[in-house]
Amino acid sequence: MKVAKTGEGYFKLVASYKKETGGWAWIIHRISGLALTAYIYVHIYALSTLTKGKEAFDAEMALFQKPLFKVLEWLLFAFVLAHTLNGIRIVLVDFGKGSFYHKKAFAYLMIIGIIAFLVMGYFIFSHEIHQAFAGLL
Amino acid sequence: MSFRYYGSRKSGSISWLLQRITGIFLIFAMVGHYILMHYSPETGHSYEQSVARFSNAYWKMFYLTFITLGLWHGLNGVWSILRDFKMKPWLAITLYGIIVVSGIAFWVLGVSTALHF
Repeated sequence: MKVAKTGEGYFKLVASYKKETGGWAWIIHRISGLALTAYIYVHIYALSTLTKGKEAFDAEMALFQKPLFKVLEWLLFAFVLAHTLNGIRIVLVDFGKGSFYHKKAFAYLMIIGIIAFLVMGYFIFSHEIHQAFAGLL
Repeated sequence: MSFRYYGSRKSGSISWLLQRITGIFLIFAMVGHYILMHYSPETGHSYEQSVARFSNAYWKMFYLTFITLGLWHGLNGVWSILRDFKMKPWLAITLYGIIVVSGIAFWVLGVSTALHF
């Protein structure tokens, strides 16, 4: 089969589609999936320091405790949550009767995701939050 | 249908099924991973605890599965995104080659880290 050239760019074409819940879920799933795949490479590379002994590993972990990496870790959790929760929705649509309630499922799952994101933010920055409010009490 | 454009006759249905199955595994593994890593800084990020985990045969088996399925799920996902584009054969082969070679390289790096202890 010969595929006709549309003359339109891929991104222009995707942008032109009318997007409802599923369309946005699709875009979120792709972007977070690409980011997580890039991250797993970094993660495997970073943990290979374990074989170089305690000092090298501890120095690396000290680096990851810096505020910039804490913020990045929090953002990473947002990608993980979006991908995991939307992945549950995809499995329900493909293997269950999810197509009947996938819009509601997406809304509820994303609400769970936002709550989990904020709770994780409290855990990651609990030290800073306690310091910020220490002056008020 | 982009997959016909570069000459593949595979529909990708096995990849589709395995993507779901590995995804379901990764949901549970990821929840456990996050609880373990963030329960306290000690459990996740100290050298002694990490080495102790990698020295345990069951943890080792878990991490080998985790590395293998995580990488496969990610790279199969990247490939499924690329298949949406109308790639010329040379480009498809090049990108597929990069995915396979880099995937194997990082799999070997991860597995050799896990098996080091």
